[in-house]
Amino acid sequence: MDEIVKIKGGKTGLQLSFAPGASFEAIRKDIEGKLASGSGFFLRGTLVLLPQDRLQKEEQEALQKLFHRNGLICRTMTPKRAADKPVRSGQVSRKAAAGEKPVQPAAAEMTVVNRTLRGGQEIRTQSSVLVVGNVNPGAQIIAGGSIDVRGTCRGMVHAGAFGDTQAIIVADHLMPTQIRIANYIARSPDQAEKAEKAERASVKDGHIIIEPIER
Amino acid sequence: MSEIYVITSGKGGVGKTTTTANIGVGLAMRGKKVVLVDTDTGLRNLDLLLGLENRIMYDLVDVTEGRVPYTKALVRHKKYETLFLLPTSQVKDKSAVNPEQLVKLCEDLRKEFDYILIDCPAGIEQGFQTAIAAADVAVVVTMPEISAVRDADKIIGELGRADKETIKLIVNRIRPQMVESGDMLDMADIDDILSIDCIGQVPDDIKVVTSTNKGEPCITMEDSEAGQAYRNIVGRICGETIPFMEFQKEGFLTRLKRRVFGN
Repeated sequence: MDEIVKIKGGKTGLQLSFAPGASFEAIRKDIEGKLASGSGFFLRGTLVLLPQDRLQKEEQEALQKLFHRNGLICRTMTPKRAADKPVRSGQVSRKAAAGEKPVQPAAAEMTVVNRTLRGGQEIRTQSSVLVVGNVNPGAQIIAGGSIDVRGTCRGMVHAGAFGDTQAIIVADHLMPTQIRIANYIARSPDQAEKAEKAERASVKDGHIIIEPIER
Repeated sequence: MSEIYVITSGKGGVGKTTTTANIGVGLAMRGKKVVLVDTDTGLRNLDLLLGLENRIMYDLVDVTEGRVPYTKALVRHKKYETLFLLPTSQVKDKSAVNPEQLVKLCEDLRKEFDYILIDCPAGIEQGFQTAIAAADVAVVVTMPEISAVRDADKIIGELGRADKETIKLIVNRIRPQMVESGDMLDMADIDDILSIDCIGQVPDDIKVVTSTNKGEPCITMEDSEAGQAYRNIVGRICGETIPFMEFQKEGFLTRLKRRVFGN
């Protein structure tokens, strides 16, 4: 039996494809059903990619709203932008092999947060993040790219959240509860000490390493 | 030029109500016209601290629902003529008052009073959102303890989200000896995380407990350290520059005892 909506999991998120000839109503119904069944595919915060050429603008928006209501991030694939910016070669070949259009990582863009992030506040973005202020305990940053904190970082920071192991985390005082880069996790020592100098966290040989930097 | 203050904290039991009562009495002692609005509907305490429980006729819910004008619900303090309490209901819950109603009430109160102090309930839910809605200035009360500081941080974030720009900090129940020995967060640690303007450091003082039970806020007691700290806070609210007090560490006798008997 051919399914109306097919879901394929990738490193960046879930890639949806629709059966040829299926009506928008049928597609929407099928997605609603899948969301309601809680099949484990649609975890909160997962990135969902819609095929670009299949839907009208209003239809796209309707689906985006539907996903947002369920706590998912929904994007339409934009192959045009990917074409004029260089994409890391590994990703291109993998996507090309799968017969899909490549997705441009937004790591080159930057979200600027010009305030202190306090407990319970969260920044979640595809791009890199610059915080001019502190990241307090209980705050979270989840970025597709790198994270730079011009202040003290005590919260949870996740760089390269969509698989980019080249992402780095920099802070004037780097003492987060947890550091995550792509799928690597490190936690702070139980006896936290004050970080006096600016430091950078990155992934080397399968481990998150932290080294002092000048700035 | 009346001002509306909300006294909030996130965490319960750090001394919001005590602080409200003391600042209210302190301002009234200086001859200001003050009204204290209790928004902790269902768990009202402010009347007890002021010793006014037996004089309550109507409450905040009666006023916001339009059953009586607010003038009927105000309870005048027995000693300080310019201090009034607007108590809340003990039988209803937080959903009985909404932010719009409180904003409207405060606009009315503004015409008559110099200071309106709103005692906020613990938590970040509806009761909190209602309490902060009308405020010009938010006073965040915390304690030198990581959970209280963490919650204060969250509250400051929430206040920012509600576009409350003027936020002041009061650190309550400081134990100078414990800070000295490194067993308690000191002001630098707290300021490191919260980084907002501090208007008061209040030591832990057993007189607060006795005064609470008597219904007479400790700000009236000349010999209370906490009372002195609250008097300083009131001075700072009135625009004076007052340095933070040095806490009495340990008395000579305690030190002697410690030396002789070994802790």
